[in-house]
Amino acid sequence: MTGPTVSAATRARDLLVSEWTKLRSVRSTYLALLGAAAFAVGVGLFSAATVRTSHLDWTTFDPVNTSLSGLLFVQLVFGVFGALAITSEYATGMIRTTFAAVPRRRAVLAAKATVTGAAGLVAGEVISFAAFFGGQLVLSGKHSSGRQLSVTLADPGVLRAVAGAGFYLFIVTLVGLGLGAIIRHTAGAIAAVGLIFIQALIVNAVFPEPDSRAGHYVLLWAGQSISSIRTHVTNYPSVPSAFAVCVAYAAVLLATAGFLVTRRDA
Amino acid sequence: MIEVHELTKRYASTLAVDRMSFRVRPGHVTGFLGPNGAGKSTTLRMILGLDAPTSGEVLVNDGRYVSLVRPLRQVGALLDANAVHGGRSAADHLLCIAQSNGIGRGRVREVLQIAGIDQVARKRVGGFSLGMKQRLGIAAALLGDPAVLIFDEPVNGLDPDGIQWIRGLLSALAGEGRTVFVASHLMSEMAITADRVIVIGRGKLIADASVAEFVRSGSPGDVLVRSPRAADLARLLTDQHAVVITEPAGGLAVSGLDAPAISKTAAAHDIPVYELTTRRPTLEAAYMELVDGTAQYRADAAGRAGRGGRP
Repeated sequence: MTGPTVSAATRARDLLVSEWTKLRSVRSTYLALLGAAAFAVGVGLFSAATVRTSHLDWTTFDPVNTSLSGLLFVQLVFGVFGALAITSEYATGMIRTTFAAVPRRRAVLAAKATVTGAAGLVAGEVISFAAFFGGQLVLSGKHSSGRQLSVTLADPGVLRAVAGAGFYLFIVTLVGLGLGAIIRHTAGAIAAVGLIFIQALIVNAVFPEPDSRAGHYVLLWAGQSISSIRTHVTNYPSVPSAFAVCVAYAAVLLATAGFLVTRRDA
Repeated sequence: MIEVHELTKRYASTLAVDRMSFRVRPGHVTGFLGPNGAGKSTTLRMILGLDAPTSGEVLVNDGRYVSLVRPLRQVGALLDANAVHGGRSAADHLLCIAQSNGIGRGRVREVLQIAGIDQVARKRVGGFSLGMKQRLGIAAALLGDPAVLIFDEPVNGLDPDGIQWIRGLLSALAGEGRTVFVASHLMSEMAITADRVIVIGRGKLIADASVAEFVRSGSPGDVLVRSPRAADLARLLTDQHAVVITEPAGGLAVSGLDAPAISKTAAAHDIPVYELTTRRPTLEAAYMELVDGTAQYRADAAGRAGRGGRP
C-alpha cells in the first residue's frame, strides 16, 4: 500500500512550495542577499569613483567590469547562501524530518536547487543591474580623451556582461549548494566555497605562462570573462566557453550530490 | 502496523542491530526499551528509511517506507525535538513539513492547538524550552493524521502538565486503533503508558510481550515486614519455606509467602508487626533483571538467547 495516487506534477509542486517556505521563513536569507546588494553596489560606486581619467588606456579599461567589481567578493556570499540552504538542515538535524517526509531524496535536492537557485538568480540579476547602473552614473560624469567613460546596455556586449554577472552568481549559488550537499557541514562547505578563489591562485602559480589553457577551466575566471566587455587576459576562457564552464561546475557538483544523497544514511 | 524482519545494521566494526524481528501492532501503545547504545535509535531510523539496513527489511502498513508517496499521511515520527531550525517560527516549521506532503495550513493550525502551542506559533523556535520543542515535534508527527506514530523519548523535558497531556494523547491515539511506538528510558513512565513492550539489548531483541506478562517474567515481588522480634519471625517464616532476607535498612524482605500468611504466622506467635508492605514487581525491576541477563548472555554465549523473544 503506497497511499493515494498523486501526480508527479503535484508532488513536484508540493516540494517546491515546501522549499520556498523554508527559504523565506529564515532571516539569514534576507540578511545575506541585502548585505550582498549593499556591498556590491557600494564597491561598484567606489571603483567607478576612483577611476583615474588621466592616461586612461581605452584598450583595457572596462566600464562594465569596473561597476561590477564588488561581485568578485559578493560571490562568496552567494556560495555560502547556497551551501547553508542544505548544511543548516544537516547541522540542526532537520534533514531527517525532511527525508522522512519525502524519501525521494533526489527530488528534495532538485527542489532545493530550483528554489535556492531561483532566489540566487533573481538576487544576482537585481544586484548586477543595480551595481551596473550605479557605476555608470558615476562614470558618466568622467571623461578621458574627450570621451565619456560610461556605457549603456545598448553598447556591444554590455547586456550580456551585466546579465551574465547575475547568471554567474546563480551558478555560484548552485556550486555552494552542491558543495554543501556533498560535505554536509557548514564550516567545511564554506571553506570549500573559498576554494573558488584558491583554485585561481593555484592555477596562476602552477601555470604562469600567458598562453596556458589551464586558466580556461577556472570558475572564477569564467565569471570574470562573462562579466567583462574587454577580454584582455589571454588565459581567461572565451565568453561562450565561460558559460559552458560555469554550467559544468554546477552540473557536476549537483550530480555528485545527487549520487551521494541516496547512498548515505541521513 | 510496523513489521521488522531480520533487520541488521553494521557500522564499520560494530553490529548496531543484529537480525532483529518484531511486530508493532495497531491499537496499542508499544514501549521500545533498551539501554543506551542498544540500537533503539538506529532501528527507528531504519523504520523511517533514513538509514539503510545492511540486511533485512522493515514494512510499514505492508509497504516499504521509501516507496510511500506521502509518508506523513501514514507515519508520523518525532525523533529529536531539537532537530529544528532555531530561526524559523513554529508555524513555518510545521508549514514547510506539511506542504511537502500536500497538507494544508488548516491542519497546521489544528496540530498547533492539539499540542497546546498555538499561542507561540509565530515565535521563533530557537527561544523554545525543550518541553515546547517536544510539543512542536509531536505536532509535526500528527500533521498527516497518520495510522502509525513513532516517538523517541517524547516525555523528555515536559513539565508535569505536559507529561499528563502526552499520557492521555498516547492512549487516545492507540484507542483510535493507531499503532503507537514509543522509545524511552523512563521505565516508570512506560509502566503507566505502554500496553506492550519490546526490549532490546546489544542490538538484539530480548523481549516482546505485554507489560503485564513482562513484569511477571521478572522477580515475583516480595513483602516487607518490620517487627521488633524480626529474628524470631524470620525463623518461623523460613520454616514455612519462605525466603527471608534482612534488608540493609532493617526489616525483612520475604518472598514465597503473601502478606496474609505472614500476618497469621506473626499473630499465632504473638509477635508484633509494625509494618507489612506488599511490594509488587515493577517494570523497572523486570527490565533491570533482563538487562543484567543480557550481560550474562554475552558471558555464556548460546544459553538464554530465546528468552521471552518471538520465535
